[in-house]
Amino acid sequence: MNTNLKISNVTKIYPGCVANDDVSLEFNSGKIYALLGENGAGKSTLVKILSGVVIPDEGKIYLNKNILKLNSPSDAKKNDIGMVFQHFNLFETLSVFENLIIDSDEQRENLKEKIDTIMKKYNFSVDLDVPVLNLSAGQKQKVEIIRCLIRSPKVLIMDEPTSVLTEQETSELFLSLKKFSEEGILIIYITHKLKEVMQLCDEVAVMRRGKLVSVSQINNENIESLANKMVGQDLKTIKKKKENTSSEQLIKITNLNFTSEDPFETNLVDINFSLNRGECLGIAGISGNGQSELFQVLSGEIISNKNSIEFNKNFIGDLNPQERREYLMAFSPEDRLEQAAIPQMAIFENVALNNFKSSNFFNNGLINESKIKEHSKKIISEFNVNTDNIDLKSQFLSGGNLQKLIIGRELITSPDLLICFNPTWGLDVGAINYIHETLIKINEQNKSIILISTDTDELLKLSDKISVIHRGKLSKIMNSEDVTSEKLGVLMGGGN
Amino acid sequence: MIKIVKRDQPSKAIFFFTPILAIFLTLIAGGIIFYILGFKPFEALKFFFIVPIADKYGFSELLLKATPLCLIAIGLSFCFKSNNWNIGAEGQLTFGAIVSGGVALLFYDQEGFYILPIVILAGAIGGMIYASIPAILKTYFNTNEILVSLMLVYVSKLILDYLVVGPWSNPEGFNFPETRQFSDSARLPLLFEGLRIHAGIFLALAAVVISWFVFYKTYLGFQMKVSGFSLKTAKYAGYKGKKMIILVFLISGACAGLAGVGEITGPIGQLHREVSPDYGFTAIIVAFLGRLHPVGIIFASLVVAITYLGAETAQIFMQIPKYTGQVFQGMILFFLLASDYLLFFKFKFIGTKK
Repeated sequence: MNTNLKISNVTKIYPGCVANDDVSLEFNSGKIYALLGENGAGKSTLVKILSGVVIPDEGKIYLNKNILKLNSPSDAKKNDIGMVFQHFNLFETLSVFENLIIDSDEQRENLKEKIDTIMKKYNFSVDLDVPVLNLSAGQKQKVEIIRCLIRSPKVLIMDEPTSVLTEQETSELFLSLKKFSEEGILIIYITHKLKEVMQLCDEVAVMRRGKLVSVSQINNENIESLANKMVGQDLKTIKKKKENTSSEQLIKITNLNFTSEDPFETNLVDINFSLNRGECLGIAGISGNGQSELFQVLSGEIISNKNSIEFNKNFIGDLNPQERREYLMAFSPEDRLEQAAIPQMAIFENVALNNFKSSNFFNNGLINESKIKEHSKKIISEFNVNTDNIDLKSQFLSGGNLQKLIIGRELITSPDLLICFNPTWGLDVGAINYIHETLIKINEQNKSIILISTDTDELLKLSDKISVIHRGKLSKIMNSEDVTSEKLGVLMGGGN
Repeated sequence: MIKIVKRDQPSKAIFFFTPILAIFLTLIAGGIIFYILGFKPFEALKFFFIVPIADKYGFSELLLKATPLCLIAIGLSFCFKSNNWNIGAEGQLTFGAIVSGGVALLFYDQEGFYILPIVILAGAIGGMIYASIPAILKTYFNTNEILVSLMLVYVSKLILDYLVVGPWSNPEGFNFPETRQFSDSARLPLLFEGLRIHAGIFLALAAVVISWFVFYKTYLGFQMKVSGFSLKTAKYAGYKGKKMIILVFLISGACAGLAGVGEITGPIGQLHREVSPDYGFTAIIVAFLGRLHPVGIIFASLVVAITYLGAETAQIFMQIPKYTGQVFQGMILFFLLASDYLLFFKFKFIGTKK
């Protein structure tokens, strides 16, 4: 039986932003649809509307010509719409089977039989009696998918499902999705990854700033054309010139260990690496494998053994971030809004967070506001931050501009080493390009970068050397020419 | 139709308007409560808020009550601004009073200009010692400062109880739970003949000026502000978090201790069981009503001080229990928190067009 899902003139307004502006779309079963857009384009809101989490201000939704009333997630379930969210909704301490039976109305025996059939049919192998916390991300996702399949859905919506998966798990997922589609389940695939759209989908709808920009057949598109639609401007591609880097060692990490008291943190085990001047070391990995801890150990937020970090012939393992800055290190953390900057404070106050001695931001314990402001103006013009008001609270900067401000703040001291963690996460493509260009420029000036990132493409583009972090351990360091994204994928999953 | 819209930027005017709105709403709610209790609302409110400060003596009493509130609230704002939740100012006040009272008792039969400064200093140090307990436990043992500082309040009150009943009780005092009277040299000078307002008010005003300077002009103030918004950012910027926690607790404790000194060397003149009618707790309300801003705290301390006076007058003239004062203090905080909603949202009136 064919399924037809129609979204008609849906509008949803949040205070201060129009998340969906008069969006109309039609889907038919037998095809895989991509819903493409940058962060904040309105994809998630639309998905939440389809799954009953959010109620639209205006507009209607039809399933097979019948109007759908979706006032709660259970309405969506009743109407055979299944959802797999980016973040899993599973009880970690319960077994897989317990998780599945919780929201099922079926008898234990029947359910078991049903699950077995599904697993056989799609070649899933998940141990039903194991607690969920012992599963890998890919397996957890399978549990979520099985949960949807039990209800034999007509529509299956996948919200950015690959952000936590390795390359191998991703291709497995794609195979299953194609199979579902062949069996008549309508699949809507939400993503901002262009490659996946090209690989998997038949039709693509692009959203930008709450509006539907285009709907087209995938055969008529390519990565560039989709990127341009998504961003709304033409992009130039940048490439790193591979030059002979110097052989002068800048930083050396020896037997660095970190054991956390917090069970939700990852322990770092025997980290060893060194980096020369002018090089970029990329550290790949699936998020949650110790990247955050590694960043903190390198920045000095977590203090370690003095001799474990040698920087420019000084041992600095026991210094805090401010003291490390005096040795010409700079840091750009992952979380722009909660760590790297304070949204409620003015731009110039955020600049003062990087308080290095020669800046004279604070003399004898007093604030030297004119000095800070002068410095801020310099950063804003040198790093293309799109504002001329340094008294503006930084919450009014877009993500891209805020990141430029942060990178600018860190680079204005011309540090020898910049350590950055997911510097382009959640940014629009224009800003990503700018940040990438800046990072390449630093390398050209014979400065070094440690780039911790979950974005494999970014790492391959910018790094000279690459290593993978998995469960707090670093793989051996490879030259980036010898590395492919498939190889990284294997290592990220813990393989060899 | 009324629609609630998020503000683009929390408005500065609203920031200072909501405390006034909160006071206004408190008056209305208070009037309703009086009405339900069978009093004429306007008359009751008059007895509560106007009669007590209608004469010179009343005004002096207002300043007398506002002085400790202001001083403690200024100290607390150092803690609150930097994300440290010291709610044990009452204990720090009591301990400051104990230490300075002990010193004053040493000099009970002596006169000399040097006595008062020593007594004042002793009070500040006492408050600091007592505040350092939650601070050190927090920084080195990861305890929760809210619990520790609160529980220490009761410890200090029991210590005071023990002292005034036992070892420090007045040998000629017929076993009343109080110490000897301090000598005149250990008393804060009165500002006007016949009024109780004393020189302690200058301590409070000095604290206001110093705190303003520290908050807005110094590196310490900047670090406090950053830590208040995000401890993660403070760590990333490399601020010495532990040092700062201890420092703000010491400042806060010193202020509370000074407030204790002001009470026992001012109006009371000796140690007894009730050195403070919960000034240390009420000052938390004052600090927030004043928006943790030094000038705001001055006004807030005056407003809250009225509730103390009003409760007393209302008890005398209308037989309303004096605990009504605490009801008003609670309502002010309640309405303040509620009206803070307006900081981030505004009402928009839209014509019913469709």
